Amino acid sequence: MENGSQNDTGNPFAATNIRGATTEKAVFVLLRTVTLLLLFCGFAVIGRVAIKGTGTVLDAFERTDTFPWFTNTFLTRTPETLHVFKEDGQMRTLGDSAFRTHQKAREEDARVRGETPTPLVVVESHAHAAGGILPCLAGSALLTGGSMLIALLLGVSCAIYLSEYAGNGRFVRLVRLSILNLAGVPSIVFGLFGFSLFVTFFGWNVSLLAGWCTLALMALPAVITASEEALRAVPTSWREGGLALGATHWQVIQKNVLPRATPGLLTAAILGVARVAGETAPIMFTAAYVVRNELPWEAGSLREFVFQGVMALPYHIYVISAKVPQNEFTEKTQYGTALVYLVFVMLFAAAAVISRNRLRPHRG
Amino acid sequence: MNQDKTIRSFFACNAFLVVLSLLLIMLFLFREGVPFFAKYHDSRSLYRSAGLEFVEHLRDAERRHEQLCGKLVQLRSKLAAALSGSPNARERLTAFDAFDNAFSEAADPLRDLAERLSSQSLATRAAVASATVSGRANAPAGTSAATWARAALPEVRNILAALAAQRAHLVEMRPRGLSAETDAALNAFAHAVEQDRTALAETAAAMAAWDPSAPVSAFSTAAAFFFGGEWRTASFWQDYYGILPLFSGSLLVCAVALSLAVPIGVAAAVHISQVAGRRERSLVKPAIEFIAATPSVVLGFFGISVLGGTLRDISHSPWLSWVPGCPFSERLNALTAGCLLALVATPTIFTLAEDALGNVSESCKDASLALGASRLQTIVRVVIPSALPGIVSACLLGFGRVIGETMIVLLCAGNRVAIPDFSVGAGVITQPVHTMTGIIAQEMGEVAHGGIHYRALFLVGAVLFCLTMLINLIVQHVTRGRVSPVH
Repeated sequence: MENGSQNDTGNPFAATNIRGATTEKAVFVLLRTVTLLLLFCGFAVIGRVAIKGTGTVLDAFERTDTFPWFTNTFLTRTPETLHVFKEDGQMRTLGDSAFRTHQKAREEDARVRGETPTPLVVVESHAHAAGGILPCLAGSALLTGGSMLIALLLGVSCAIYLSEYAGNGRFVRLVRLSILNLAGVPSIVFGLFGFSLFVTFFGWNVSLLAGWCTLALMALPAVITASEEALRAVPTSWREGGLALGATHWQVIQKNVLPRATPGLLTAAILGVARVAGETAPIMFTAAYVVRNELPWEAGSLREFVFQGVMALPYHIYVISAKVPQNEFTEKTQYGTALVYLVFVMLFAAAAVISRNRLRPHRG
Repeated sequence: MNQDKTIRSFFACNAFLVVLSLLLIMLFLFREGVPFFAKYHDSRSLYRSAGLEFVEHLRDAERRHEQLCGKLVQLRSKLAAALSGSPNARERLTAFDAFDNAFSEAADPLRDLAERLSSQSLATRAAVASATVSGRANAPAGTSAATWARAALPEVRNILAALAAQRAHLVEMRPRGLSAETDAALNAFAHAVEQDRTALAETAAAMAAWDPSAPVSAFSTAAAFFFGGEWRTASFWQDYYGILPLFSGSLLVCAVALSLAVPIGVAAAVHISQVAGRRERSLVKPAIEFIAATPSVVLGFFGISVLGGTLRDISHSPWLSWVPGCPFSERLNALTAGCLLALVATPTIFTLAEDALGNVSESCKDASLALGASRLQTIVRVVIPSALPGIVSACLLGFGRVIGETMIVLLCAGNRVAIPDFSVGAGVITQPVHTMTGIIAQEMGEVAHGGIHYRALFLVGAVLFCLTMLINLIVQHVTRGRVSPVH
């Protein structure tokens, strides 16, 4: 059907002038246009961020004296305040630390020459508009990784129960209904729930652990569904073979089913990551700080590490786009951050799309 | 065998964890949210017993008068524009200004009285509140709202009656013959004043009938939340927690998003599953899934930095002036948010609808084609009808996705807490709105833990949760469990 068209020229039986053929053609063209429009809109957003943001990331490459002989200041520094100031009649912009050094150098310079130093006039200052995004990047990676670990442990166990043990009883139907409903819960509601249970009821405060648990719950439906699909794809004969050789049920699962399903489970993990990495609302009250200058791994002990709040890329983007005005000075960092985050998420998304398409046989 | 059983129950426990977490979400949303009603009830009782409710009537009358004055100001600017250049413009405007000023000044006694009673009621409220805190049963004598309110009642009556009489007199003596338009507008204005006269009489009656000791019913408190038209927090006067402005804002944004996303999503699904070749399908499907993964906060940022300004500029172009709502001045409004939300909803609708269309059996299509139907006829009459439950549930899930979306509406919807003015017709979509998800995200970080505002936000979350749950159950019912939001 897909490739067949009724009026192929070679077919002598084809009707030459079907009534409504023009309408049909017009409708099909319209449908294709709409599809292309959708693609265009989606990629226009991605493209705009990519084009504007690439400049920021590329400009931040600098040479260094040690291996690997270059560094990217945008990715390896912490956010700073951007000062826009007038110097010798010219507008200049510098990050906070560079601005201080510059000011000191000027004063020193003036003192050497025996003049009174003229202070620099700061025209405007924008928070977070200079420096880099290392703490956010680190925080996002930690949040995503940790939550994925939890979601995978819980999700795969649940999927094993559903595909290997469960029949079609009341309990199983309840579990399935819960999975479906859990998938529909809005992300902000997960945030509220995480705040009330983990942050206040358990007293974990705004911490990595609270964020992990909240995000893990959010990823659970996707992970369970994909894992179950992977487990069910293992042929029954593999299980029966193992059982016939005298293996216990658990041994069969452990030695036959799980190894065979590993690629599928990996897909499940990536799907879960893709779902979690793009979320902002759940971590707003559970794990994310607006500003935190220490990097996550500077925590003294494991306890401190787990119970620390972190900066996260999505929340940082929210902060800099909602609280910082859009202008020529701040735009650079904003687009740069958006691009880095987009790449971060899109890598997982692309991996998910590709691995799933490999795994699932094409229909039709 | 015993070990196997243990392992089995371990996995079963894990599965139960999913059920448990859903129950916990429900439990905690309601545990934190439901005490709101008790607190709101107390707050509303205090509002009544401290006499704020009494004064509110007066403030309402004052507000209505200011609205009338506002109409006059608008009229004046129109008149000034129309008269510019004409010889006796100045005299005519002076005549109008005299009328305008006299009309505004007529309410001066009302303003003074409202001001005085407001501060009295606030003082009463503070006294009652501190009395409650220190454990005394009764407020100190002399501050009882009933006393001062009863004492003020004759004055209130006099002032309201005087205002009505004076306004009627002024309207009777209104300047005439300024211009045809102004005359017509002033006639309409006279009519509005006449209508407000009955409203003033009602105000006086309501204030006379006011009873500070009448109990506030639990039902009215619940109604004040679910049907309350105002969400005003941290005000000096009285906090209102009515969900209607947020709910209507959410629905408006959803309506914009779905009116774009449903046609586009379904059309693309039909194209990809029925018309497109294998090659096109294998390219477009992953591309749309890829678009679906765009993080909503990036879309919101795009809306703030690009789309909002672009849409506003487009709306200012002269050949669009016939479109309702154009030109608009707000960069961030329901339209901007709705367009971006459409980009979120379309992939969801597309994927699920494409699934449903693809599941239509080949033999149905073949039979239709064999009977001589064209491809278009087959699609419209056979494929789409038999996939309809799936398509409908795709749209419903798209709706659920959009109404639960937070970052885009928080960044791009304009965040003005007011019921959109639907009287302007379709142009309503260019107004800034606030949404249920947006208000939680915006205010959760700055509320006192356990306070009434905090609980109100949890209740909004609970409403949101119930709404999405309902959508999910409907979808399960329509498709008998075949379509899931997980894909």
